[in-house]
Amino acid sequence: MQENYLAKWLSGELSEAELSEFKKSEAYASYIRLKEVSSTLEAPEFDVDQAFQQLKAERMETAPKVITLHPFKKFLQVAAAIAILITGSYFYVNSLDESIATQLAERTEITLPDNSEIILNADSRISYSEKKWDEKRNVNLDGEAFFKVAKGKKFTVSTDHGTVAVLGTQFNVENRKGFFEVTCFEGLVSVAYKGQETKLPAGSSFLVIDGQIMDVDKPDTLQPSWVNNESSFDRIPLEFVLAELERQFNIEVKTQNVDKNLLFTGTFSNTDINMALKSISTPSRMNYKLEGDNVLFYAEKTP
Amino acid sequence: MNNVCEEQVFSSIFKANSKTVFNYIYYKFGNEEKAHDAVQEAFVKLWENCSKVMPEKAKSYLYTVANNLYLNVIKAEKVRLKYAAPSLGHSNESPEFLMEEQQYKEKLDKALNDLPENQRTTFLLNRIDGKKYAEIAEMEGVSVKAIEKRMHLALKTLREQIDGI
Repeated sequence: MQENYLAKWLSGELSEAELSEFKKSEAYASYIRLKEVSSTLEAPEFDVDQAFQQLKAERMETAPKVITLHPFKKFLQVAAAIAILITGSYFYVNSLDESIATQLAERTEITLPDNSEIILNADSRISYSEKKWDEKRNVNLDGEAFFKVAKGKKFTVSTDHGTVAVLGTQFNVENRKGFFEVTCFEGLVSVAYKGQETKLPAGSSFLVIDGQIMDVDKPDTLQPSWVNNESSFDRIPLEFVLAELERQFNIEVKTQNVDKNLLFTGTFSNTDINMALKSISTPSRMNYKLEGDNVLFYAEKTP
Repeated sequence: MNNVCEEQVFSSIFKANSKTVFNYIYYKFGNEEKAHDAVQEAFVKLWENCSKVMPEKAKSYLYTVANNLYLNVIKAEKVRLKYAAPSLGHSNESPEFLMEEQQYKEKLDKALNDLPENQRTTFLLNRIDGKKYAEIAEMEGVSVKAIEKRMHLALKTLREQIDGI
């Protein structure tokens, strides 16, 4: 008899010979009865339609869950991304230096964390690290600014021309293209220029024009003149005077037949453009034409 | 294209298989309520994954889900089966015969409940649901030969139990 012959017999897979052999066995009658009675067995009731309705209801119940779950998931993902961005940019912005800039014809006053004051002249920019201010009092300057430094640790002004270091004083730094001037009004200022250190006592200036250190007279004021809305020059090439004029009035200056290397000594108003133009043109023997935001200086003899 | 996600396809799969899924779980655990839950659970899962399950795989997917649901979770209870009412021809049997018949059924009930779960399930799926060995093999995820073995052992054990051997 083959393996699992009872299963084969039940499914009618026994061969003739095997079947007749099985029929002869004394257990055969028992198996026949088992087969017959077991075929009348019934499982518990199961209502397919009712179960299907129940499933539909359940599916409908779960369907909104599935729908609402996903946008929430997405929302969480977006929220997480935004949170990371915000935290990231917060730290990034925090690590950035404070930066203050003035436009043309604009002036602003800045109070530093240690109550030092900076007056920023037109078209200038300073930056400093507010976070590290207690460790290092350093201001980066591009343009011109007047400093009233509170007493304390070393205070430095970094420019692309050189570094100005002080302990507590009032001084002016002008750092323009081809022009670098430091004037000390109070205390002592140390100027490092091209690896050379110059000590500036109160009432003295350090001036570099186009890389040349110039001799300058002692200023006779307590503040730079621009703080009082005037721009003063002492034997400064016209080129830089006109550049300052452009910055103070946000105008464009052109010249015709004018030697811009001519030295200019004098003062012009930072508030009245006609006065300022006269102040510059008269001593330099120039005429000027003002048309909107454009000024043309031309030699007196040229028509 | 035949897709389980289509209402019609899904509905026909339900109509063709839900009762067997119910019975399958009932034969295993003897718990009607759990068997009902298993049907719902298995078809909800099938619906949720309708795009991933090929229609021809849906059947074995259902049994796998239903089976895993209670695996090692619930304790098997007594399976209670009914017997079809005897046909009219048998109603005028002698009282002795009817009593003997009743005793036989009681013995069979006890013997069925004493069977290992997998033998009982195989036996009942074949006897009640008329499932071929190959179909049962697919449900259980085993070979046809393994099902034949279970069937053979089930018959042998039942007969021995009933005959008191």
